[in-house]
Amino acid sequence: MTSREQTVLDDVTRIGGVRSALLVSADDGLVVAESSVEGQHTEAAAAFAARLAQRLTVLTRTLQTPPMSMLLLQASGGQLFITQGGEGLLFVAITSNDVNIGEVRLALLDAAGRIA
Amino acid sequence: MRTIEPWVERPLTTFVAEAQVRVALLMTSSGQVVAQHGFTRSLDVMTAAALGAGIVASTREIAREMSAGTFGAVVHQGPRLGVYLMPFEMPGGTWIGLAVFGPDTSLGIVQLFFGKLVDDLVREAPREAPTRQVLPETFEDDLNQSLRALFGR
Amino acid sequence: MTDDIASMTLKLAQDPASLVFLPLAESLRKRGQLDAALTVAARGAARYPELADAHDLVARIQSDRGAGDDAFDAWTSVLRLVPDHLGAHKGLAFLSYRTGDLGRSVKHLTRALELAPTDTSLAGAIERLRTLMATRAESVNPPEADRIPVTPEADRGRPATEQTPTLLFDQQGRVMQGTLARADGVDASDAVAAALAGVSREAERATRLLDLGEWRAIAIESGAVNYELRTPTPETLLLVMRGREVPAGRLARIADRAVERARQWLEDIV
Repeated sequence: MTSREQTVLDDVTRIGGVRSALLVSADDGLVVAESSVEGQHTEAAAAFAARLAQRLTVLTRTLQTPPMSMLLLQASGGQLFITQGGEGLLFVAITSNDVNIGEVRLALLDAAGRIA
Repeated sequence: MRTIEPWVERPLTTFVAEAQVRVALLMTSSGQVVAQHGFTRSLDVMTAAALGAGIVASTREIAREMSAGTFGAVVHQGPRLGVYLMPFEMPGGTWIGLAVFGPDTSLGIVQLFFGKLVDDLVREAPREAPTRQVLPETFEDDLNQSLRALFGR
Repeated sequence: MTDDIASMTLKLAQDPASLVFLPLAESLRKRGQLDAALTVAARGAARYPELADAHDLVARIQSDRGAGDDAFDAWTSVLRLVPDHLGAHKGLAFLSYRTGDLGRSVKHLTRALELAPTDTSLAGAIERLRTLMATRAESVNPPEADRIPVTPEADRGRPATEQTPTLLFDQQGRVMQGTLARADGVDASDAVAAALAGVSREAERATRLLDLGEWRAIAIESGAVNYELRTPTPETLLLVMRGREVPAGRLARIADRAVERARQWLEDIV
């Protein structure tokens, strides 16, 4: 992990409602770098985010649409954002439900662009 | 699934289901088998237990030689299958977990649920039960005894 | 409920000829213990081959398990014993619909309505199926007509190119309604349903272990296309897709309405 990656992740967690931001290896689902506001299950978030992204890649491949650029899992107690983070990496953010979805989305896309 | 210690069965069943591994083996650091899932032949269990214990022992020795403290998990990731090998501390001594997994799961998932397996095992291990010393000279007998229990032979 | 099951199990163990297997298997089915329910019901049906309710129970359990052929056989056995069995006609109507045999489905629903004339849901289901059959007959493109029951209200009257491709499928990956096509026009409905069948369980597991509560929606951006995945019922999944020109917030509303229509359709047909 470099200080640049840490800075990028820290920028995402500064957004109100973001509990943690992670850089995750897409194939293994392991945490590469992380920035958490509080004690979060970052290991579990990385594992499941990569798994979901893999499963949903089948959808875009089947329908012959471009690879997934952003995934948002919405639940009653929070949200999980996943975006491509460069070669073999994913950017993942866990947020509360009162977060500004558009702001987090743009921040993750920006983070992906800064790391790539 | 076959287990020698009945209290191991529930945590290991949960691990196999949640992590979606194909094969799982729990053994002591001397290679004495405690539980297995997914093996069909006793020879395979014997080989896996001996190799797993040997790999962990040699990895520890390398870490000691390098003054690197202790290494964590040993992972081999192939194109079709991955192997996850991890020593962990139980109240009665060091145990080793071995899991073989395919592309229907991932290393992150296996690692995540292995951590939960260890927590469950430590929590459910009987505290007052005397722990039997596994001496090098009884190793083969112990192994054979384990295999008989696991395969009903 | 657990005590009831325990006492019924004990009773059955003490007297294997007891008819208590009927409420026991039904209780197990309602608890989702389908394999155990099937074991109990199948043994009971074997012991009492002339008991229509035993075969009906086996059929409902098989249907819950997604074993359509076995459910069909069991309900056919029921009708051989009791030709006016309401549950068997409803069940066979559902299975016939699922296999695309709309005519047979209407026939069983019509008989069910004769047996239960005050059941308005049956009349509604017949009407919907007849409309669907008429539309199919008129259309040179049957899959387009097949989309009607879950097509969002907002799409009514729009040209087909502006409509929302929608696919309703069950957790076993079988298409129930609608179609999705690839960019080259080839139908990919079955492949999509099969690919996404396990996603709901994956999402449920993720949200449970991350303490995020119950999952509600998955929104996916993929180049020029946006998708939204929902669960109208615990047994089904609904996928809607639109071009990027439809903003994510609007697609979520379209998905809301598609979910409502899918729920209504599922209630009507069963």
